[in-house]
Amino acid sequence: MGWILFKRAVRDLKSGFARYIALALLIVFSLFIVISLMGAADTIIDSTVISDRELNCEDGEFSVFVPLRNEEIKKITERGVSVEQMFYVDYSLNGDQVLRAFKVRENINKISLINGTLPANDSEAVIERRYSEVNGISIGDKVSIGNKDFTVTGIGAAPDYNTVIKKITDTVVDSRYFGLIFVTPEAYDELYSSGCSIASEEYYYAYVLNGAMSESELKAILDDNTFDVEDVDDEYFKEYWDRMTERKDELLEGIDELKEGASDLADGADDLNDGITEFHEGMKDLHDAVPDLTDGVEELDDGAAALETGIKEYTSAVDKIESGASDLSDGASALAAGTSELNTGADLYGTGVNELAGTVEVMSQNEVPYIAEVAGGFLDPAKALATGFAQIQTGIAGVNTGATSMSNGAYQLYQGIKTLNSNSGALKRGAAGLHAGTTALKEGVADLSDGIDKLYDGSIEISDGSDELAKGARELADGVKDFSDEANDLIDEVFNIDLSNLRVFINKADNPRIDSAADDVQINYSASIIFGILLVVLFAYVISVFIVHTIDQESAVIGALYSMGVKRRTLTLSYVAVPVIVTFISGVIGTLIAIFTPAGIPAQMADSLGYFSMPKMDIIVKPFVLIYGLVIPPVTAFIVNVLVVRNRLVRTPLSLLRNEQKAVRGKELKIKGLKFIPMFRLRQIMREIRAGLTVIFGLFMSLLVALLAINTSVYCTNVKNSYIDLTKYEYMYNYKYPTEEVPEGGYEAVAEGFKKEIYGYTFDVTVLGITKENPFFDVGELPDNDSDVVISSAVANKYNLSTGDIFTLSDDKGERLYAFRVVGICDYTASMFVFMDIDRCRDLFNEDDDYFNVVFSDHALDVDGGRLYSTVSKEEIARSSGIYVEMMGPMVTTMSVASAVIFLVVMYLMVKMMIDRSAFNISLVKVFGFRNREVRKMYLDGNFYIVAIGALISIPLCKMIMDYIYPRYLVSNVGVGVTADFPPEVYAAIFAVVIVLYLAINLVLTGRIRKIKPAEVLKNRE
Amino acid sequence: MYIETRDLKKSYGEGGSFVQVLKGVSIKIDKGEMCVIQGTSGSGKSTLLNCIGGLDDIDSGNVSVAGTLVECLKGEKLSDYRRANLGFIFQFYNLVPNLTVRENIQVCEYLTKDPLNMDELIEVLGLTEHQYKFPSQLSGGQQQRCAIARALVKNPKVLLCDEPTGALDSKTSRDILILLEKINRQYGTTMLIVTHNNSIKNMVDHVIYLKDGEIYKDYINEKKVPASELEDL
Repeated sequence: MGWILFKRAVRDLKSGFARYIALALLIVFSLFIVISLMGAADTIIDSTVISDRELNCEDGEFSVFVPLRNEEIKKITERGVSVEQMFYVDYSLNGDQVLRAFKVRENINKISLINGTLPANDSEAVIERRYSEVNGISIGDKVSIGNKDFTVTGIGAAPDYNTVIKKITDTVVDSRYFGLIFVTPEAYDELYSSGCSIASEEYYYAYVLNGAMSESELKAILDDNTFDVEDVDDEYFKEYWDRMTERKDELLEGIDELKEGASDLADGADDLNDGITEFHEGMKDLHDAVPDLTDGVEELDDGAAALETGIKEYTSAVDKIESGASDLSDGASALAAGTSELNTGADLYGTGVNELAGTVEVMSQNEVPYIAEVAGGFLDPAKALATGFAQIQTGIAGVNTGATSMSNGAYQLYQGIKTLNSNSGALKRGAAGLHAGTTALKEGVADLSDGIDKLYDGSIEISDGSDELAKGARELADGVKDFSDEANDLIDEVFNIDLSNLRVFINKADNPRIDSAADDVQINYSASIIFGILLVVLFAYVISVFIVHTIDQESAVIGALYSMGVKRRTLTLSYVAVPVIVTFISGVIGTLIAIFTPAGIPAQMADSLGYFSMPKMDIIVKPFVLIYGLVIPPVTAFIVNVLVVRNRLVRTPLSLLRNEQKAVRGKELKIKGLKFIPMFRLRQIMREIRAGLTVIFGLFMSLLVALLAINTSVYCTNVKNSYIDLTKYEYMYNYKYPTEEVPEGGYEAVAEGFKKEIYGYTFDVTVLGITKENPFFDVGELPDNDSDVVISSAVANKYNLSTGDIFTLSDDKGERLYAFRVVGICDYTASMFVFMDIDRCRDLFNEDDDYFNVVFSDHALDVDGGRLYSTVSKEEIARSSGIYVEMMGPMVTTMSVASAVIFLVVMYLMVKMMIDRSAFNISLVKVFGFRNREVRKMYLDGNFYIVAIGALISIPLCKMIMDYIYPRYLVSNVGVGVTADFPPEVYAAIFAVVIVLYLAINLVLTGRIRKIKPAEVLKNRE
Repeated sequence: MYIETRDLKKSYGEGGSFVQVLKGVSIKIDKGEMCVIQGTSGSGKSTLLNCIGGLDDIDSGNVSVAGTLVECLKGEKLSDYRRANLGFIFQFYNLVPNLTVRENIQVCEYLTKDPLNMDELIEVLGLTEHQYKFPSQLSGGQQQRCAIARALVKNPKVLLCDEPTGALDSKTSRDILILLEKINRQYGTTMLIVTHNNSIKNMVDHVIYLKDGEIYKDYINEKKVPASELEDL
């Protein structure tokens, strides 16, 4: 059955021949381009590997100040490393051209002859391929350099100049003005001895490691190599050298002063040591005395404590005495008072006694005898009583007087003891204070003892240290003496005998001149694979839309076949047969055209051959390319269509028989206020959403191609403009041997080359120290330190740097890192410069205050070529900057056209299919009386919104994608930081072009709608 | 029984749109029998045919064809069942438009290891002179004959015909029916014909009349009339 249904597919192919052929042509065209690019890339990459092997391409190269001595070369070669001179000299030709002369290579970087033969004598030469092509030089022509004529006997290419750039930092090849010439060694020497070169001879060597040692080992050996200044013939070098050696004496004097200073320092250290020894001995005595002091103070403290206790007891007793004295005084007073009263009583009693005695006497004299008798009995006792009492009274008076005296005395005693007691408090406090003082003294002495211990220990250390110091100072003095001797030797060596000879060491991978064509096309290769598959997917999907359309039309037939037992797989295969056939045949044709016609791989190779200096190459078609061209398209189409068709055929036989349509979103769509035709249009868009999305997909793909073309064009134009507009100077002189004075009219600068990697490529970034007066760079105020810098926008764009960012640069040898902070970005996209103040730059790189190695000027200066590495003129820059625009022009045009064609074809086919699908409905609405204009609005104009919205989304999206891809993959090897930004007008223009192309298709398809007759309904029904 | 359904129920839709199309239909058809299923629109005759043909799922009940329980089959096995047992003839032919008559028949020829002789079949069906024409170059009757040939070429045990004459004029309808009769006789093919046409019941062995999803009449036609003698086609 397979082949029968396959017949159906073939007839379907025939019936839709026009649309399939259109798609097939697009696939053929796409695959032709993709296979051509891949084939060319494969050929170039593989041929590069082969030619590198056959021509013994270097593993790296290095340059030296003076040619290596035989023993130095032997030191390397006897380890198994191959080394060959690649010396060169630049000569001016025809006023504005430069030819770099080499000796014919023998073992490394051998010349691959495209035509002719190697020079057989001193008047013959081989010219580098690109230079000969661009300047129309053929075998047999004469080339005159350095007043010497050479006959061109061969056209060739050298693997170490795959990209023929003058300086390794150059970004653009311009073979109109720079090329290579290979002559015999004798002719080379003769030419150089004529003195007509525009710069001094460069001593480059190429090496091949042969697995004998590592690159770093070789570099270490070369680093150890030194050169004898006397070996250098270059007069400019010698002059430069003499100037440099003036610094020697200054250095020697400085070293002598250092030696004397060190000797004085040693003597001083000895004296210091003696003083410290004495101090230490005194300290020792002091330390020994401390225990006695401690004991004395302890005894003193104990005495004070005892004294304090005694005084406390004494004051307590005095206190008690005071109390007793007080009592005594009080008693004495009471006694005095009592005796006084006694006395008074005695007086009264005496008076009474006397009165008694008087009375008794009177009574004794009483007339009454009895009375007188009785009284007379009492007369004597009364008299005795009175007499006795007088004596008592006298005694009482005496007692009274005594008691009074005793009272007074006791009071005085009390007062005295009280005074004594009050004084004893002060005595007690004094004793306590004394004790506290002695205790504090004891503690102080303990601290003193500790301090003295420490002081003593310190003094021991000081003593030891001063011994060391004295010893060290002596050793320093001895060392400085040795240093002085060594330094003298070293200075002698540096200034008189030896110097590190290695100037540049660069391996093959880091050399932008080598294998760059292969690197360049690698991007094409990767991009082609991805782009090719995307295009095939697009076209396969477009075909699948047709297939779906067919399936919908043949739904009942499919249902019938299912009913009979035909399986879905069989039907699926029959329906995917068409896209598989179309894509397979297209793939075969595209691949064959790419491989076997000059327009294919050879034409794509021509782009590389027109830029890089390549050896002869035979086209190499690798199996993957064939698989890609012959297998990937049908397989992609198969996968895409199986996914789409299976989804369509998954319905039941009954559903297919009844041709049941899936509910299409939009059929039920109702928007309030929307009139019939806009609503219908909206529903139509929803019904045909698959085709609409395909249009957007196609639009997206074509815009991707278009924006690749536009980005390329804008980028190249920006490169050109930035070079021309931003190069303010007329000449830039790069000095090899700078003069002492800056040439009149020139602006000196210090340039230091650095490496910085991004996106897998390492670029040269130049730190440029410029003077404030330099009028050629508008960098504003430069910071007054050596870490803050102003960077050119080229650096900022390339490395995504902003103000405030910190970034690092490593020196050429990769041995030292410098960190800088960005404090400003100046508008300079042409070169990757990091700007500093010249003095700060000199400080940073340890150069003299008057050092410079670059001079800018607005007119030609009188500078001897022998002093220079190179001279760059604005004219040269302007000339070479346009080369990108010229080179990329055809590609930009091709891609723009391809983009438009992709869009037109996809758009046309999809819209046409929409109309075909709606033919019955269109004829029906015509039957109803709708006019063509209205029908167009209903069925066609909705696509305008699809295209417009698709374009509005796709244009910025594609631009974003391209802006992401472009710097990372497409120009990642270009050492300028120009962006591919373009103004809003360009976006508007792209949109306008899309709309114009749509309108053109709309116009064509309006005619198709017009052709649909109302009778179509009847025909279909029948 | 060669074809048998038991209490076959089938419905469509849900909720308000729910329709019970077959309400427990049980029929029995012998091998080699020509059976007509008749009924008004919506009576469930096509649904019954589809259920027997495995084109539609059933809700409940059993369908057995040549000993195979159809309701138990899914996917590839269902295809294999149709491939091995059935031939379909539709009202609108459903021929592959860009294959010739012969090629349309060949499409189904491959489905069996033991197909009928193509040339003989083409001749029997009177398509010899049209065999290299495309469907669009044929009349309706010729197209239907081609569809019959396509259905027969794999020598099916059962031929399911859904309104085989529905799109044809009277004369052509007769020719087609004569042809079916001849095939039944010649190849012993069991035939189940769904039709609106009331005359066709007269030429078959077995008549089933469906009404509102139920068997209304089911009888053996004792007075078979040759197709060539049918009236009011």
